[in-house]
Order: sequence, then C-alpha cells, then structure tokens
Amino acid sequence: MTTIGVTIPRATRSSTLDRILAVVRLHFINPKGFIWLPLAIMAFIFLVNYLVWLIIFATVTAPAEQADVRQGLQYSGASLFIFVYMMVVAVQAINLTFPFAQGYGVTRRDFALGSAVAFVTLSALFSILWTALSLLEDATGGWGLGGSMFTAAYFSDGPWFERFFVYLAAFLFFVFIGAATAAAYVRWKAMGMYVFFAALTVAIVAAGAIITLTGSWPAVGEWLAASWPVGIALWSLVPTLASAALGYLILRRATPRS
Amino acid sequence: MSEVIDVRGVTRRFGSVSALDDVSFEVEENTICGLLGRNGAGKTTVMQLLTAQDFVTTGSISVFGENPVENPRVLDRVCFIKESQRYPDDFTARHVFRSAPWFFRGWDAAFAESLIADFRLPVDRRIKKLSRGQLSAVGVIVGLASRAPLTFFDEPYLGLDAVARHLFYDRLLEDYAEHPRTVVLSTHLIDEVSNLLEHVLVLDEGRLVMDLPAEEARASATTVTGAATAVEQFVAGMPVMHRDSLGGLLSVVVGPLNSESRDAARAQGLEISPVSLQQLVIRTTDAPAREFEASA
Repeated sequence: MTTIGVTIPRATRSSTLDRILAVVRLHFINPKGFIWLPLAIMAFIFLVNYLVWLIIFATVTAPAEQADVRQGLQYSGASLFIFVYMMVVAVQAINLTFPFAQGYGVTRRDFALGSAVAFVTLSALFSILWTALSLLEDATGGWGLGGSMFTAAYFSDGPWFERFFVYLAAFLFFVFIGAATAAAYVRWKAMGMYVFFAALTVAIVAAGAIITLTGSWPAVGEWLAASWPVGIALWSLVPTLASAALGYLILRRATPRS
Repeated sequence: MSEVIDVRGVTRRFGSVSALDDVSFEVEENTICGLLGRNGAGKTTVMQLLTAQDFVTTGSISVFGENPVENPRVLDRVCFIKESQRYPDDFTARHVFRSAPWFFRGWDAAFAESLIADFRLPVDRRIKKLSRGQLSAVGVIVGLASRAPLTFFDEPYLGLDAVARHLFYDRLLEDYAEHPRTVVLSTHLIDEVSNLLEHVLVLDEGRLVMDLPAEEARASATTVTGAATAVEQFVAGMPVMHRDSLGGLLSVVVGPLNSESRDAARAQGLEISPVSLQQLVIRTTDAPAREFEASA
C-alpha cells in the first residue's frame, strides 16, 4: 500500500457477547408471531377440544365406555401443531432475518450463534409452559373430564424434569431442522430445496429398504417401544445438533439476495 | 490521505457471467463517492462484496485496512442500505428503528425522530403495507441516523418523490458536515446528486470505466457548439464522444480542452460548455464511447 490505511480504534470495538445478544434481541423484538399467536391458537384448540370432550361425555354415559373413550383420548394430536409451527418460525427467522441482519453488518457467525441462543431460549420457554400444563392436566384429572392434550401418549408421563426434557428435545429437533432447511434455501434458493428434499426422500427410502431387507422391523419396533420417550428424545439430539452445525456451515457462504 | 476502501483486481463470476471483471479502486476516508453505471453494471455486486455479503472470485478487498469477510471489526462500522432490503415478517418501521441502535454504535435517536417527521413515515404500519417511497424512507433514515463510519446507499430512493429526495440530499450534506464519514452512493439520478459527489466511479458491464474526482470528471469532457463546418474543423483529429446536429448547427462532445483551445474555439465563434455528469456517464457507458475510453 502506498498510503496509510484507516485502522479501527480499539474503543469502538464491540465484544462478541454484545453482538450475539443483539442478534438474540433482534429475533425477539416482535414476539407477536412466535409467542402470542401460537399461544392464542393453542388456547383455541384447547377450547374446541374441551367442548368435544364435554359432548362425548354427555352422550357416552356407561362407565365402561367412558373409560374406553379416555383411553382413546390419549392419542390426541391436538398439541402437535406447535412443533410444526415452531419449525415455520425458525424458517422465517433464517429466511427473513438473515438478509436483514446482514444489512446491519452482522457476521454470519454472530448471526448463527445469536439465532441458536434465540431458538434454544424459545424452545425452553415453550417446554416449561407445556410441562406446567401437562402437570396441571394430571392434577385436574384431565381438566375434570379425563381429556388429554399435554399428556398425550407421545409424551412422557414421568416426573416433571423428564417431561420437560422430552418437550425440549422435540422443540429443538423441529426448530433446528427448520433452520438448516431455511439456510439451504437462503444459500441455494429453489435449487437447494429440490436437492434437499430429493436427498431426504432417498435417505428415507434407503433406510426403509435396509430395515426391510435385513428384516429388522421388529427390532426397530422393540427399540422404539423400549426407549420411548426419553431414549428417543436423547437420540433426537444427534440430528438436532447435526442440523445446527450444518445450518451454520451452509450459512457461512450464503449471500442475501433479493 | 488515507483510504477506507481498497479494491484490487476484483473479479466476481456467477457461473460463466462476470459481474465484475478485474476492478480496482480506492475510496478515501470522509468523502462522498458516487458509484454510477447502468442497470446490471455491477454496482450492487461491488457493494455486496465490500460489506461481505458476497465473496470475490479473485482479487482482494480491504475495508478499514482489513478483509471484511466475517470480520466484526470492519462490519461493526459499516451500514448497507439497499433498495431491495428485506425485513422480517410483520416488522414495522418502529421495530427497525428500535433494533438499529443495538447494531450501530453511532445511532442518533433524536436525529432518527426528526427524519421520521421529515419523511412523514408511519412507524406503526407494517413494512409490507408501506408504499414504495415509504419503504425507501425507512432505509434512508437508518442509513443517515446510524452514522456508520462507512455507509453504502444502493439506489436508496426508489419511489421517493422529488421533495423527499431533496430532503435526503439536504440531510445527508448537513449531517455529513457535522459528522464526517465515508458515503458510497449508487444512483440513476446522476444530475440530482452531482453536486453531492466528491468522487465518481463508473462501472460498465462489470468493468470500471471511470475513477475520478467529480471536478475532474466534469472537466474531462467539453461540448463544442456552433456552425457545423466550423465545429467540424475545430474538432478534426480529436476523439469525439458524441455529436448532435440540428439544421446547420452542430454540437460535439470532446475530451478536455486547455485554455488555448478554448480561446481558439471562442475566437471562431464556437460556444464551449461543460458536460453534465449525467451526460458524461451516458457517453462513457454508451457503446461508441469505448473508442474514446481506449484513446483517453
């Protein structure tokens, strides 16, 4: 260089923590879409379910049949929407907030770390709430009717920390899978999605083929039944962490395009 | 003198297309630099590379003396406002202005408030519902109030009316005088900003075709007007960038003229006038102008 370049005074430098926290705050600045709206939807679904339970128990009066119904209510999918919803939240957070943060001069690394902190925080908040609701559901004998929403058969009916862990693992799984998918979209646009879903389809078919050809379906079934739900929740951390790492690697060379 | 931006031999290819082809230039600290050129000339690509949103294919870029890629020391001091900026879903302008200070240390909230009033921006309306001009105003306000030491405006005022554009020019100049910083501005409205610019970079099809202080750029071409025969005689042998004839009158754009040539022209009854920056850019990025560039 022939001239003296401008260097950066130390005083204006920010700490890594400041920058990551700024990204976390950016994600949480408008909580309407990912806290209040899903809670409102949840409340509505609960209300509708409650009415359905009332109607059922008003018509089914024999005690034996009522017990049968309660058994069936265990397989409620009413609260499962929240996981798909959070996946969409993560997709939006990456797809729209990434180009925005880039305009603010946020590095991809700080954005990825800040987003991960935001996602874990959000997952933890919902897991706490869902755990509390499941305990309440138990305490009230299924809201006084034997209904199931938060203690549905898919979740843990163990102690509170076990329930919390299963919920948390489920939220993290969906959020980070969503984030990694969105990162692929941000980087490669539609072509990235074609390749991603083609690869996913092939992987699922291949896994199915291997299990079928080796005659391992019973073993898989036994394993699922034996490790449900805590063992599965533990295992889900593997794809969750892989998605988080992959998402960051993909984002590292992504360019926000209009 | 010190440069804030140093671009050396930068090429950016997308597949087989060269968006930028061996571009080199420097931008000095605390200047307003115009990045001009036609659509697709590579202006946005340059800005994306300088702000580390995109990556060079070959060549090197230094901003504040360092490579900007994933470099918070550089990016902390940079603000990039582009016409096509996307915002998170359901954001209002208020969300934008509330979060901006977390990222721009120099953010001046009072200045932002006064700009919001100036541009009459509805801050509680969702950004999706804003008009094109209001959307541009959001970017312009962030760009000005952030007081980033290096601010990029890429076509910042699409849809802004003449009053709002002049408001932008006025506020930019006022604030720039009080808080000197480096501004890189790309625009199509060259004549409007020509008084603002201290330096001019012109890109054409990915190549840098002009890199001059604005004063020199303006002096780099001259219009000679008069009777056709007299003009033809006068410009004989000079590379001609453009000619316009109307009846017996001829107007020709040629390179810079020294004072003797000017006197000689005037003695022959010819009129000598400066070329506007816009004219100059049009001439330099026109196909026939290539010969002129090659010979200049």
